Amino acid sequence: MVAGGIAEFALKAAAKADYAEARFESARVNEFTLKNGVLEVSESSETQGLCVRVIVKGAQGSAFTNLLGKPSVKAAVSRALKLAKQSAKIVKDPVELSVEKPGKADYSVAQRIPLADVSSDLKIRELINIDRALLSAGVKLPARFLTLRDETKEKYYVNSDGSNIRSKIPRVLFDYMLTAAADGKTVQRMFSFGASAGWEAFKKWSLAEKLAEEAGMLGKILATAQPCPSGELDVVLSPELVGIASHESVGHPYEADRILGREAAQAGESFVTRELLGTKIGSDVVNVVDDPRLPGSYGYYLYDDEGVKANRRYLIKNGIITSFLQNRWSASRFGIPSNGSARANNWDAEPIVRMANTYVMAGDHSTEELLRDVKKGIYIKSYMEWNIDDKRFNQRYTGLEAYLIENGELKHLVRNPVLEITTPVFWSSVDAVGKNVEYVAGNCGKGEPMQGIPVWFGGPHIRLRKIKFGEHV
Amino acid sequence: MIIYAIKKAEKLGATDAVAQLAKERRSQIRFANNTMTTLQNWDVEKLELFLSFNKRIVSTSLDIITKKSIDAAIANLAKLAKSAKPKEDFGGIAAGPFKYKKIAGGYDKKILNCDLADKVEAAMNSALKKAQKTAGVLYAAEDSVELATSGGAHASDKGTSIELSLRAFCAKDESGHALSCSRSLNDFNPEAAGSKAALLASLAKGPVEGTPSKCDVLFDPMAFADLAGLTASFASAFYVESGFSFLADKLGKSVASPAVSITDASDMAGGFGTESFDDEGVPTQTTEIVKKGVLNTYLHNTSTAKKYFVKTTANAGLINPSPRNVVLQPGSRSKDEILSGIKNGLYITNVWYTRFQNYRTSDFSTIPRDAILVIKDGEFVGSVKNVRITENLEALLKKITAVSNRPEWVHWWEVQTPVYLPYVLAEKVNITKPTM
Repeated sequence: MVAGGIAEFALKAAAKADYAEARFESARVNEFTLKNGVLEVSESSETQGLCVRVIVKGAQGSAFTNLLGKPSVKAAVSRALKLAKQSAKIVKDPVELSVEKPGKADYSVAQRIPLADVSSDLKIRELINIDRALLSAGVKLPARFLTLRDETKEKYYVNSDGSNIRSKIPRVLFDYMLTAAADGKTVQRMFSFGASAGWEAFKKWSLAEKLAEEAGMLGKILATAQPCPSGELDVVLSPELVGIASHESVGHPYEADRILGREAAQAGESFVTRELLGTKIGSDVVNVVDDPRLPGSYGYYLYDDEGVKANRRYLIKNGIITSFLQNRWSASRFGIPSNGSARANNWDAEPIVRMANTYVMAGDHSTEELLRDVKKGIYIKSYMEWNIDDKRFNQRYTGLEAYLIENGELKHLVRNPVLEITTPVFWSSVDAVGKNVEYVAGNCGKGEPMQGIPVWFGGPHIRLRKIKFGEHV
Repeated sequence: MIIYAIKKAEKLGATDAVAQLAKERRSQIRFANNTMTTLQNWDVEKLELFLSFNKRIVSTSLDIITKKSIDAAIANLAKLAKSAKPKEDFGGIAAGPFKYKKIAGGYDKKILNCDLADKVEAAMNSALKKAQKTAGVLYAAEDSVELATSGGAHASDKGTSIELSLRAFCAKDESGHALSCSRSLNDFNPEAAGSKAALLASLAKGPVEGTPSKCDVLFDPMAFADLAGLTASFASAFYVESGFSFLADKLGKSVASPAVSITDASDMAGGFGTESFDDEGVPTQTTEIVKKGVLNTYLHNTSTAKKYFVKTTANAGLINPSPRNVVLQPGSRSKDEILSGIKNGLYITNVWYTRFQNYRTSDFSTIPRDAILVIKDGEFVGSVKNVRITENLEALLKKITAVSNRPEWVHWWEVQTPVYLPYVLAEKVNITKPTM
């Protein structure tokens, strides 16, 4: 059976359900790992499989299989139906979905240099070139770990409401982890570049130059960083910090399934409740959105995995909590339409509420203007360790490349500045927002079983006033 | 089919070849707000191929498993290998054939026939005697694997498992979490998990803001499993070489207090992660990673072992050796005896989001979630919230003063490698909290 045929066949087999959907996915994946200049392994795989989800009398059952002959697909549908029917008797709170206009689309991401046309030879050469550039930086780098992955994923989605969506999205991801050493001390840096695009994205990243520069900076941190001052200081955060903070402390707590408790035993709940909609969480200059449609973005899609058309959604507008990320189940609970946030990371996973590309919107300050008004503060450009509690209230970021600011000027590097702060204080302390938005790629984890899903997070530089820095490890 | 794949790979010039056919039949019930939210079922087969063409290492994963698809995949890998550079330090795969012992306690047909919804109901009802709300997941699975290698290994294994993870809530900020994980239905106790989670939630009543301190911490097995599991994983020779491990250059040196002994018991009877052979077909074994606080060995496959002039520890991972059952060896005192000796401290029942500043130094922080109980003179006298453990993993391992005498299995969303461990007491643990 061809891709569409498998999904259509499964949907037809599930006709007895009150609601049914079938999603067939196939992917071609290539991955190359270079460890300390040596090619560790080259992987090349083609994967495919089917998800069938049904709702019968308020009970939801799903079956996942990569056995794609007609009898196996029919058996998978039967299992989904059986699970739903069995539990329909005992489900206390029926699953309902919001009413949506059926999505109909066939879309793909244009590739100026198609990934399929790029040889393995070239990809490996590029990794080796990056490694050589790292070694040329004049810094001792005892551990260098570079990974290049490209994936072209095709989906065929149909549901019993009449949705019929095909998509083809190529993605490129470059991850690295560097260890720099000097005088018995080490620092480490991990970072990712990602895009939904062809090979042109990789070329645009200019990785050899960027990583060599970064290696040089790691050497400077080891050689010159001084202890971070404590006390009440202003803070200027780079797009990298703003991105992770917007993802962790705005995107996640605004996921409606968390708010409704569905993820309580895994990714957790949220300090944000539906009663907080329309209330103030940040200063007037804070605007945070999530937009799956950003061209070239790592979290790109035009229709979600429930067939709902994607749109930009305001999470915070002028400091006020404006909306949550919704799939059809959570939207039904809120009595509103879905905003197209249902995503599954693969054919073997259910669609749940996810971010796509979450970022702080641009303001009107140049970076120089943000720094100029700071008498004494810290500029944090990159970070190492970070985490946040499962209600998304108590967050921490430890800076890697960070500078003392004195009278509007960047001074020496400071070592391990720690921003350990509650979410409302963080966003309420922002007094100015920069003009230029930048994005960072990541794979966000959520779901049971765990689903890592491609996202971007970003923003411009922002300034926070009067932040307390204390004593830390 | 796997023998066919090996022969085909050899015909096309592979100098080492491993084929693994894995079959997974898994059922899941998710629940939240005291009701089932979804029931899911997986029926999946995958063929993994790992080939070396004169030290050029390539691999693939196949969803369509036919002779035709295997031919195409191996031809593609042979082509890919031509682009690859040789990994000069690759020492090949294990030379077999091997004899495999039968490991008891890994398969229980009763798991496949039991009523999973009943088990969920039992766990929820047990929790709801004290708690107001429950959420969690139940899995029941049958997994099988067949492996063949160009080194002459040919083996198969089949196992079952059942596991429940339940979080109970009494009110906002008052929660507890507990587990039951087993390879046999008889040892599976969903009621006990529900009851423990609810008890912890009830003890966490009215938590107040925590304060920064250096205090004694009694870790529940669920709370220390992540750190014990990470310690064992950091013993992977691959992680050591990649800069991902604080255990680099520490063989034979002290990395923990003498109270700490950590093994990988991949061949443990009834172990939650037990398998009878590793990913290159070597019969699994028990390996002492940390013995009375001293790092005894790294975890190896055949190739990494050759580099270190030792024998494989049967922990392949063909690229990254890894543990299957991490065991923190029990001590002699009971949990209650240890608790009774704590003058001032915290009982931390669960953690999540462990992140490192630097894997070489092992500076990290992790966030306690669920009940964080205040201990005074051996009694629970209150609870706190919004704190963080901000530590160095090696330093924390050296701060361990006692390990209790009854280990439990921990395997859940946050802890993916099964860990079998008791309660752990550490002194002067660094606790931080938001500055504002």
